[in-house]
Amino acid sequence: MDLTDDDVLKILKIIDESDYDDVRLEIGDFKLHVQKHGNAEHASPAAPSDNREKPHATAPAAVHAASAVAPPVTSAVPKAAEEEPIPDGLVVVRAPMLGTFYRAPSPGEKPFVEIGDKIGPNDTVCLVEVMKLFNSIKAGVAGTVVKILVENGAMVEHGQPLILIEHDLIDAPGKIQ
Amino acid sequence: MNAEGGIKRLFVANRGEIAVRIIQACRKLGVEAVVGVSAADRQSLAATIADRAVCIGPAPATESYLKMGAVVTAAKGTGCDAVHPGYGFLAERAGFQRLCVEHGLKFVGPSAAAIEAMGDKLQARRIAAELGVPIVPGTDHVRAAQDALAFGREAGFPFLLKASAGGGGRGMRVVRSPEEVATAFDSASAEARAAFGNPALYIERYVEHARHVEIQVIADSHGNIVHLGERDCSTQRRHQKLIEEAPSPVIDQDLRARMAQAAVRLAGHVGYTNAGTVEFILDLDSDAFYFLEMNTRIQVEHPVTEMITGIDLVAEQIRVAGGAPLSIAQDAVRFNGHAIECRINAERAERDFMPSPGLVTEWQPPAGPEIRVDTHCYPGYFIPPFYDSMIAKLIVHGKDRAAALSRMSRALGSFKVAGVHTTIPFHQAVLAHPDFRRGRGTTRWVEEKFMMQSRLTENLT
Repeated sequence: MDLTDDDVLKILKIIDESDYDDVRLEIGDFKLHVQKHGNAEHASPAAPSDNREKPHATAPAAVHAASAVAPPVTSAVPKAAEEEPIPDGLVVVRAPMLGTFYRAPSPGEKPFVEIGDKIGPNDTVCLVEVMKLFNSIKAGVAGTVVKILVENGAMVEHGQPLILIEHDLIDAPGKIQ
Repeated sequence: MNAEGGIKRLFVANRGEIAVRIIQACRKLGVEAVVGVSAADRQSLAATIADRAVCIGPAPATESYLKMGAVVTAAKGTGCDAVHPGYGFLAERAGFQRLCVEHGLKFVGPSAAAIEAMGDKLQARRIAAELGVPIVPGTDHVRAAQDALAFGREAGFPFLLKASAGGGGRGMRVVRSPEEVATAFDSASAEARAAFGNPALYIERYVEHARHVEIQVIADSHGNIVHLGERDCSTQRRHQKLIEEAPSPVIDQDLRARMAQAAVRLAGHVGYTNAGTVEFILDLDSDAFYFLEMNTRIQVEHPVTEMITGIDLVAEQIRVAGGAPLSIAQDAVRFNGHAIECRINAERAERDFMPSPGLVTEWQPPAGPEIRVDTHCYPGYFIPPFYDSMIAKLIVHGKDRAAALSRMSRALGSFKVAGVHTTIPFHQAVLAHPDFRRGRGTTRWVEEKFMMQSRLTENLT
């Protein structure tokens, strides 16, 4: 099923005008889960521009640096998103789509995470916005935030590293690879 | 700012050879070029030669090249002031044009209204008919199979069922007898609904002996519109063009003038700006021509027109999108000699044109005077399996058709590619065929005659 951004906006508008707070739509492989007024993680009015409901990205956000298939950067062309080597043992959270990177649910609010914060795999670490659609990016692992690689408000490319996390091995023994 | 109008930095919303072609035109104009690439195209030639490449999404086109939001976000995020859509992908989506304009990006192409007017084939037919441009005899919207059957009983079989939202042969059926009507109607309608979201069908008379002849037009935003003559794209397979040439070997000065006048009238009526192509079908039995459709974008085969007119169509597109007037007037357009283009695809012609992606281990395109190769390939390039199989366009020029044909044969013979299969042997066989050399083949010649001659097919292996 091919969905355009316009279709998504239309669906969101229909849901927005409905009386339901939580909508789950499944058509074959296509699954959409929308919650109005945010959920536990986003109790405060979210989103830098308004408090529109957010479809939650389900893309796997984190991969082990050691096993990550980083896109080779061998081109001589100067690129804004020059990738620095990721130290061993750190987990990198990558942008699952191109968009604008936001560290906080809305301007002036506290960032989702700061360096040194302890986080769980389901904690939101940032937002990536494409055309007013805000995608929550999850940590994917339990650990400690070591580095934030992108400035708030910058455009990020698909697959660009955003945040480095030191994997908390004790908290997630089943996840050691 | 540069002298060529407002555009300073242009976002290339495409891939492959046309992305390379657009970047080269930008260079010539002093315009910076940013290209949006999928994860599979990070190492592409376009990504290497552009001022900047931005990864807009994963390999599947639906997740990258077709994502309007990602493209516009990337264009704005990199400080571009214009978007060139190339051909295919988002080039003929009126909604994309609107989204660009809403975000302050100039769209290198016509207005959304012009894209819509021509994108709906039934509407385009109505407009053409109103303007006195001949259309293939047929119907308006056919709502039910009985109506199609009634048409066949009255006008005769075979006829064509076509999708109003169609293109590229999708949602199209040849109906040869009353028994075929019901099945053809249902399947064409279902296919049109699935492919375009619009099941509307209409009928056209089936032209048995047809040539495909199209007129290139280009217009600026100051009311100037010129035509750059025709291209003959009759060498096709399953509605995919394989070889194009200009001028057409089958039309004379009078027919050319009438077709060009019809094309300019049509483009002018819809307030057309930028480059566009008005396609006609020429009935070889009657020498009558009929409007088929208008393509509201640059076309794959634009180089043959460039070779005989000396006009850089892509640079001209960027200039007029920036607000500059056309650099050419109609009475200054000159046609010089003959040009032919062969589309080189990574396909095995002898295996029903099966795609052949993979690593290009050797790549030595021909070079020399009056030889041009538009390509994104290089030695060591990996042709990804996700997209179109065209890997190069080989274009040659000559003082006349015979000179162009022999130059093309020599150029094909010296084109060295290894690692993947290509359609070079197919083109060599077509060029050697007497029917092709005579220039009288129809649009179904490749399928119905050339490929049926098994001896030739074997020679392709």
